Amino acid sequence: MRLFTQFILRPLAADKMRTATTILGVALGIAVVVAIQLTNASSIRGFETALETVAGKTAVEVVGTGGLDEDTLPSLNWLREYGVASPVIEGNAALVIGDLETLSRRDMEAVRVLGVDILRDMPFRDYQLLDVGQDRDTAVETAAPRGTAPPAPAPVPNVTTQQFLEILTDERSVVISEKLATRRGLVIGSQLRMMFGDRVNSYVIRGLLKNEGPARVLDGNFVLMDIAAAQLAFDRLGRIDRLDVLLTAGADVQGTLAAITARLPPELTAQPPSRRGQQVETMLAAFHANLTALSWIALIVGLFLVYNTVTISVVARRQEIGTLRALGLTRLKVLFLFLGEAAALAVAGIGVGLGLARLLADAAVAMTSATVSTIYIATAAAPPDLDWGHVWLATAMGLPLSLLAAAVPALEASQVQPTAAMRGNDTLDMRVRLRPAMLMAPLTVLALAFGLTQLGPVNGRPLYGYLSAFAIVIGTGLLVPAIMYGLARVSREALRRRLGVEGLLAHANLTSAIPRLSISVAALSVSLSMMVAIAIMIGSFRDTVVYWVGQTLQADLFVGPGIRPTVGQEPTLSPTVIEAVRRHPRVTAIDSFRNVDLVYEGKLTVLGAGTFSVVLDHGAVLFKSPANARDRVREAIGQDGVIISEAFSHKFGKREGDTLTLPTPKGLHGFQVAAVYYDYSNDRGVVIMDAGTFRRYYGDLAPSGLAAFLTPGSDPELVRMEILATLDEGHRAFIFSNWSLREEVLRVFDSTFAITYALELIAIVVAMLGVAGTLLALVLERRRELSLLRLTGANQDQVRKMVIIEAALIGAVSQGIGLVMGFALSMVLIYVINVQSFGWTIQFHMPTWFLIQASIAVVIATAVAGIYPARRAAQLVLSHEE
Amino acid sequence: MEVMPALVADHLRKTYVSGESTVTALADVSFTVAKGDFVALMGPSGCGKSTLLHVCGAMDRASSGRIVLNGQDLATLGDDGLTRVRREQVGFVFQFFNLLPTLTIADNIALPCLLSGMHGATADARARALAERVGIAHRLSHYPQQVSGGEMQRAAIARALVHEPDLLVADEPTGNLDSENGAKVMALLSELNREMRVTVLLATHAADVAAAATRILHMRDGKFEGDRQT
Ligand SMILES: Nc1ncnc2c1ncn2[C@@H]1O[C@H](COP(=O)(O)OP(=O)(O)OP(=O)(O)O)[C@@H](O)[C@H]1O
Ligand SMILES: [Mg+2]
Repeated sequence: MRLFTQFILRPLAADKMRTATTILGVALGIAVVVAIQLTNASSIRGFETALETVAGKTAVEVVGTGGLDEDTLPSLNWLREYGVASPVIEGNAALVIGDLETLSRRDMEAVRVLGVDILRDMPFRDYQLLDVGQDRDTAVETAAPRGTAPPAPAPVPNVTTQQFLEILTDERSVVISEKLATRRGLVIGSQLRMMFGDRVNSYVIRGLLKNEGPARVLDGNFVLMDIAAAQLAFDRLGRIDRLDVLLTAGADVQGTLAAITARLPPELTAQPPSRRGQQVETMLAAFHANLTALSWIALIVGLFLVYNTVTISVVARRQEIGTLRALGLTRLKVLFLFLGEAAALAVAGIGVGLGLARLLADAAVAMTSATVSTIYIATAAAPPDLDWGHVWLATAMGLPLSLLAAAVPALEASQVQPTAAMRGNDTLDMRVRLRPAMLMAPLTVLALAFGLTQLGPVNGRPLYGYLSAFAIVIGTGLLVPAIMYGLARVSREALRRRLGVEGLLAHANLTSAIPRLSISVAALSVSLSMMVAIAIMIGSFRDTVVYWVGQTLQADLFVGPGIRPTVGQEPTLSPTVIEAVRRHPRVTAIDSFRNVDLVYEGKLTVLGAGTFSVVLDHGAVLFKSPANARDRVREAIGQDGVIISEAFSHKFGKREGDTLTLPTPKGLHGFQVAAVYYDYSNDRGVVIMDAGTFRRYYGDLAPSGLAAFLTPGSDPELVRMEILATLDEGHRAFIFSNWSLREEVLRVFDSTFAITYALELIAIVVAMLGVAGTLLALVLERRRELSLLRLTGANQDQVRKMVIIEAALIGAVSQGIGLVMGFALSMVLIYVINVQSFGWTIQFHMPTWFLIQASIAVVIATAVAGIYPARRAAQLVLSHEE
Repeated sequence: MEVMPALVADHLRKTYVSGESTVTALADVSFTVAKGDFVALMGPSGCGKSTLLHVCGAMDRASSGRIVLNGQDLATLGDDGLTRVRREQVGFVFQFFNLLPTLTIADNIALPCLLSGMHGATADARARALAERVGIAHRLSHYPQQVSGGEMQRAAIARALVHEPDLLVADEPTGNLDSENGAKVMALLSELNREMRVTVLLATHAADVAAAATRILHMRDGKFEGDRQT
């Protein structure tokens, strides 16, 4: 132990720069992995927490596509045999604070609105009324200005159901959480304006709820109203979203669920509330798997720093090790000494990393929440707190992998002969030859990689795709030494001619260090190749989306509700707004659409309604197959024909001509697939039927969006303003012009991938630290050579230049390998992984200019990483007797 | 006509301070070496021979005193200045490790010329010529580990002289060789000393090695004990 302190810990403390770099590298790796775990958890957790919080004691819920018709409720009276049932309307609304005119989408706050029949619902959820309006005839006050604290509400311990009932009978009465009231400076009697779809409604706050039960949802952004008021607000008259069932005490949940399912009509499903959470989880799984895979790269690259540091420690102390061996220290002890060093670094790295993880997670959530909430759910929560599980995860990954990384140099240390203590007896043989065997293994692995791309998905996951990517990484990594020997052979003269004696020396140094450098170059290449692959993938994807948007966004104006689509019922457009659009003289055609959640084969997908004739006339859909899709779709109008998105087609293996059996309020019904179309806006899969067909089966649901076509030569911006001007106080639609919607689509696209780039950047930073570390190791290892070089007449500038050239060469070679490997990986990403996990066809596109810029940046960055080792090299004390 | 001496040392002192203890490696050494002289430094281990060679060869600084090489006071020079002196005026041969293991013999020999910015082809031609002179032309494309100790030392001599220095510093150049190879190396050194009129400063333990010199200086405990012309 004393030996460990003196021999390992002291030098680590002395060489602060190197130790700090390594700890930072490991820490970043660990932090990224844990942060992504936290981020992924937060996006699902946000939804699940909201779900659980609102679900209360509900054990079983009965749901149907597009909700349940109120008329069917009497036929479900038998549910009483199993417990109590409570119909529910639940949805998001936007709190309207301030001036309606200048209100933009971004500064609206989402609130969860729950509409129930309070009489029935009391046993389901833990409502704790704090205060009720004492005098219901008091004139409605306007909201107190923000910031002024309302008087503390006096708790009303025993609010009877009767009182509760009384305050909610009015369709303009709401009860909100105390937390929301305090934050917004609202009191009982205050007016509360909320936006549902395109409608702005005013309510009066009649009571405050303690932060218990459902009131905790969305951090207190909770509004409770009567179910009738909610039906009105959400424009769901005559419908309910679901029927919550509270089982009689002591009932067996599984058994009852089965019994209920058996008695329900086929279009209705009974499920535990957590089921919706699982569906969202599955929906996000592919997205999360990709982020997790990326985060691992940062960790792997971080571990390579451990390898580096332990290597430095071994080479810098060969003679000391030799002396210790001569003095009788066993091989095993030497091995443990250096593994101990790795463990010390790993533990420090894990500690710092866990601290960093939290910060990174917050940043990542900020970056992904835009994505997750725009694409998936509106309720991404703050990342959960670190718990022992994360500490365990970080340790279980970081420690063994660090030890593994340190095993190579530690073994090397244990092989040091006692004679190494004697100077002059320590010559290295650096002329390793290029043997055919060096090519066999990597080529086999690369061939395997190719083979794996030919296999299909496993359970909808691109398992073999990931394996293939992994094989490409391993195969290329193994090929690195051979590539370097090859390059070394052909580049000597050019370097000497272009870069002079420093070039010659750099070439000689690197060539002799190839066995050691290969790992660094491989690690750097891997992270660079990921950057290249992701750049190609995203570049191609973006290009494809731009093309798709250009082809499909044909309408001049798009009218949507004020809040974003979420899982659950979409907000709808009211007749007033639709009429306002329709009546405008310049509007020639309108395609209205409506989406509802559709659970198909247990997976959450989307069922949409559109106006096929308008879509066909205006070419607003890009068909994939069959070749005569347009004719087929025209024939399908009125014939129960549907079109499905590419993602749906992939996920469920359906093609044109196949029949989908969908649950409808009228029972299960078969719909024939007329065509498959491209859709990059949704990876859940979409089934679209003509508005007429939809109405026949699902009733006359209000549309959730409109696309309006204008007469040629119209100024969409002007028409937009004119339509908005005709809307009264109670309505507020969001109208995008074609141009601004394109912008919006690309903005969402770019924000989706922002985190990908950020992760990649971290991996590259870590790899750069690795290059600096490797060079430092080489510099320390070559102390005698450097000293000799200085004695021979090299000045400090020349030594510095030499080391920086070495760094830049490492960068250039790594980037070169990274480009080739990245190209291969991008093929796997685009044609295998992406297709199998999202079902999207992406047109290959090479972002040449970006890659050129990135390559130059990488070479410059590695050269910069060489500055510190270069300075260390130039400052070596001259001596020929070491 | 009075010729300028190649090297003048004036009350040189060199002390190494490590922690609390101070080691005096050179205690007040003064001497003058004429151009073209072949001087051998002799003395027991630790008497300060290597230290004196380092100071004379612009590889290290004296703690006090003056050292003038070709009329230039080395004490006034910074790191770059000393490097330039080594690069242009000094060549050296050590007991071990004279050649960079990563370069071929040819590149090793050409290195001083290349470092001072000489055109590559010219440097190569010079290196080849000297390699022929010292008899290792057939080893030019080999790496140092691939040649014998004697060949290595002859390559080191070629490297030390390729840039036509005024002073050749040799610290026990034969210490690592058998007597036959040692004799060959010494013979080569005296031939080159005469042919190229390069001043040689050589440290050795062995009297038979010192015999090749024209002047022998005896050292003990950082001081001169005797000065004998041969
Ligand atoms: N870097 C150093 N730090 C401290 N002391 C040193 C250093 N270099 C040399 N010395 C000390 O200076 C004295 C002279 O050393 P020097 O190497 O000049 O002797 P030397 O005559 O060359 O010996 P040898 O014949 O063994 O090579 C010795 O006592 C030595 O211990
Ligand atoms: Mg000596």
